[in-house]
Order: sequence, then structure tokens, then C-alpha cells
Amino acid sequence: MFGEKGYNLIKELARSEDNLPPYNSDLVNEISHEITKQFEENRDDAQNSTIDGSESLLLNTIRIRNGASKRNIRCLMAYHYNRLKCLRTMRWEFGSILPPDIKANLSSDELEWFSNYSKTLVNYMKSIGEDGINLAVDLKPPKALYIEVQCLVDYGRFELSDGTMLLLKKNSRHYLPRSECEELIRQGVFKHIS
Amino acid sequence: MDPDELEFLGEKSKIMIIPTFNKENIHLISGDLGPFRASLPSQVPLWVATLLKKQKRCKIIPPDWMNVEYLEALKEQEKQTSGFTRMPSDHYMVEAKLLLDCAPDDIPNADEVKVIIKDIWDMRMSKIRSSVTKLVKNSDFYAAVDNLTIMEINSVRPILPHALDNLFRMKHIEQPKPSQNSNVSSFLMSKRASTSFQLSNNEDY
Amino acid sequence: MPLSVSYTPNYYSLEDILATQERIPCRVAQTIPKMGHLNSSSVDVDLQEGTVMEFPLWLVNEVCVSRVPILNPDLPKIYKESYREILKADACAVDLHRLNLHFYELGSYVKKFDKKNDVHQSIIDTFRSRFRQLINLADNSISDPMVQQRLDTLERKLFNDAYKARVKLNIWLEHSATVIEAANMVVNHKKRKRINLEELL
Repeated sequence: MFGEKGYNLIKELARSEDNLPPYNSDLVNEISHEITKQFEENRDDAQNSTIDGSESLLLNTIRIRNGASKRNIRCLMAYHYNRLKCLRTMRWEFGSILPPDIKANLSSDELEWFSNYSKTLVNYMKSIGEDGINLAVDLKPPKALYIEVQCLVDYGRFELSDGTMLLLKKNSRHYLPRSECEELIRQGVFKHIS
Repeated sequence: MDPDELEFLGEKSKIMIIPTFNKENIHLISGDLGPFRASLPSQVPLWVATLLKKQKRCKIIPPDWMNVEYLEALKEQEKQTSGFTRMPSDHYMVEAKLLLDCAPDDIPNADEVKVIIKDIWDMRMSKIRSSVTKLVKNSDFYAAVDNLTIMEINSVRPILPHALDNLFRMKHIEQPKPSQNSNVSSFLMSKRASTSFQLSNNEDY
Repeated sequence: MPLSVSYTPNYYSLEDILATQERIPCRVAQTIPKMGHLNSSSVDVDLQEGTVMEFPLWLVNEVCVSRVPILNPDLPKIYKESYREILKADACAVDLHRLNLHFYELGSYVKKFDKKNDVHQSIIDTFRSRFRQLINLADNSISDPMVQQRLDTLERKLFNDAYKARVKLNIWLEHSATVIEAANMVVNHKKRKRINLEELL
């Protein structure tokens, strides 16, 4: 049946909720070829058919193929669009540096899009007000200027905005300005202790 | 909305405190605070009150309604009516939670107060739930939400609006058409309707 | 907090693409040349008029809109009267998930193939009767995992959103201060890594 490949592509993406499966360039190429083939067959049939006589039945064939092409195109569009949407959320959740195993699943175009989006976002945040606003922090109304955090990984050296250097080791506890560590909490480096 | 965000909104309500320090006016974007004179009552937003209390720099005067007698009466009233009673404050849950949390020593019978407020909340929540299910089940056209506070309304989000959206969609996606012929005519009719709308517009001018 | 929008299908929506892939029993109304290969039980080059076979919904929608339809669709059996009667008797007891993953979405599409127009009301009534169960499930007042298994995709989404909101409210009620948490994707990514690691060991 027509459209099976497109369906498989979409099913693969839908199954992995907030994770991106490896970019399936094989299937994408196969579907593109199918679209081209359907278009060429339709073009040939359209040229050979006449308005009257039995050949007008060919119109049915053309309509079926045309429907199948439209479906294929929709699947390809939806595949790429939803991947980009997921990638955009990843920029907000992981920050500007993606974990290597996620990066490995992206196509080169997607990688380029990600770095462009990242740049645009940073420029936009810099442009707000006089000193810029970091839109990725204060997602919840802040209660206190300082919070206590526990480090979950061996992160290494971390410089605070006042120039103080900290050595972040696994299980070490710190009392830090909320604004300095919120992003690290979001990225899973720190755990907020209340 | 998240409860944290609603709490943030509720923190703007005014609370009386008795400061233990002296300080001139503090100018903030949201308005001036103070001046503060030690042991003279002063009105501040809830977030300032909790902050000062945590630093042990004030005593909190609980709102009028935060006492066992008043709340017992309110609870009884809530029990009697099928609708919702008007609450003494639009953010009663936020105020109760924050004040009972940071200043139980300033509120007489704090534990008892806490239990009664929890009872009232539970009663109202179960009323909301039963009226929401009734609304969807009987396809009523409206529901009165008088006297519900923002935190309570938020408790049926997102399920109620989303369920109604989906019901609306199910009702309105293209209705089945009995036969091919009427299919065509209804198409024409919808066209005519839009022209007549334009005509009546023209007449207005 | 991201805006919470109810599900509305659009051109790009994965759910809608999956729902429109469902198969619809059809009778071929006009011979379709060169399309015999679509019917695996025949070796004809052409797909003959009168052939009865299943087509995906998206294709049916594509070729049924014109005045001279190429396919005559029938209702899938789960929307026929015998099933409607079961739903009418006790909608809550039915395993919609097994009936069809996209029960409401598919139903909204195929109801136009129902000449008597009974499917329309049937799916609305089904949703209404099952709503109470859904809201109880989200409130955790019933925690039967079996009930959760029996939801269709649309109900499952409503349930998940409602459940998340309910958990947030309960946390707020019980704890004095909310903590900043790691982002969802980060948490899930860590979990997956751990699972992968365990599989390797």
C-alpha cells in the first residue's frame, strides 16, 4: 500500500517522546524518490490520456498517485518540523551544549540549525534592556537570593561572576547565589536542597 | 498555571506586621514600604512580611479571619450550601499556607486553624470535582464559578478546558451529509450565507 | 511555564498522521488502471470495479471528496451498531485502547461515512460517560493501572496533563518551599543513559 514508508518514519519519531531517534536519511531518501517517481508516472499518464474513452479511467490512477504523493510530502514535512521543534526545546533544557549522544543523532543540517538558533537566542537575550536578560533563569518566582545546592557530578572548575573560583566535586555542597546556579540545576549538575 | 505562580500573585496581598526595628521609607517599583517604627503596626505585602518574619524582625498580626471561631462558622456555612461560600480572601490558601508556615507562634491555635482551613479546602475541592463531572456529563451550557478563588479554579486546569475543547471539536467537525446531492446544495448555501452577510454590511454604509 | 494547549490536529501533527493511517473497508466504485498491485490477493494489472478491500483513511479522504467517488467507504466495524450498543451500555468498562488507539479522532473522521448519522452522537456520549473516570484517575482517587491501560490516545493525553497538574498542586500543598528542578529532558536523558549502561553490564 502507498504511504507505508512515511508512516514508518512518523511512527519512529512518535514513539520516542522527548528524545530524538537517529535522523533516518535512508528512509527520507526513499520517500523522496517515491514522490519523484509518482510525479513522473502521473506526468506520463496525463500526457497519454484523452478526455473521452476508456483512458479517462486513468484519471482515477492519477488521483490515487497524487493523493499518495501529498501524503508522502506531509510525512516528510511533519518529520522534519517535529524534529526541529524538539531540538528547539532541547536548547532551553540542555543549554547551548548538547550531550554527545544526542548530537550523534542529528543530521548536519539540524546541527547547523541548532547553532544558528542558539546564536539568535543569545543575541536576543543580550539585546533586552541595557545589560540583557537571561530568559533561561527564574522560571519559578524566586524566594531567596542564596540557595543551597549539592553537586551531582565531578564538574571541575566553575567561575562565579565576581571572579571566585570553585572546584565542583561530586557530592560537595555549596551555598550560592540563585542566579549563578539555576542553569546548572536545570542541566542536572546541581541538586537544589531546600 | 503552576501553584508557585499563583502563590507569587497571592504574595501581593497586604498583611499587618509589628516591626521590631526602625527604618525610613523604602522605595520599590511596586510602591513605598514603611516607614517602620518599632512596635507600631504597619501594613506590608505578604512577601515582605514572610521575609521579615524569617529574619525575626517582625511579629505578624494574623488577618481577621484567621481564627478558630470565624473559620468554624465558615466551615458550617460551606457545609450547608450546595454552591460555594464567599471566602474572606481571594488568596486564602496562599495566605494561610505562608503564614502558618513561617509564623505559627503569632497565630493563636495555629494547628487548629490549619486543620479547619484544610477541611474547608477539601470540601470545596470535592464540590468542584462533582460539578465539573456533572457539567461534562449533562452537557450543561455554563457553570457558575462565583466565589471560587484562583487557586481552586486552577485545580481543574488543564483537564476541564481541554476536555471541553475536544468535545467542541467532536461536535463541530464536518457533520455527516445524508447524500451526495445535499452535499452540493449545502455547499451552495454556505456560500450564499456569506454573500448575504456582505450585502448587509454594504447596506450599513 | 509553557502554555498548555489542548490537542487540535494540524498538518504537522504526528497524532493526526497516525490516526489517518487507520484502514477503512471500501468498495472500489470505478476501475483504477495500473493499481492492481494495491490488492495483494489479485494478480490483475488494474484494480477492478467492485473489489472490496481496505484503504488507509488519508487515501479515502483524498478520493471521496469529488462528485464521482472512486471508492465507496464503509464504517469500520468498531463504529457499527453492535459496538455502539456496548458503549451505550457501559462506556467505562470498554477497553478503548484495544478497540482503537485513536478512537475519537478516527470516529470524528469516519462518521461522515455513516448514512444514518448515529456515530456522531455515539462518540460524544462515550467521551462524556468516561470523563468522570478520567478525572478520578487524574485525582488519584482510583489508582487502578488497568483503567489507565484502557484509555485511547486523546484520553491518555488529557489524563497525563491533568495528573501532572495535580501532582504539582499536591506538592505545593504539602511542602513549604518548592525547589528548582532539573529540566525534564535532562532527567529523562540521564535515565536512558542509566538503562543503556545497565544493559551493557
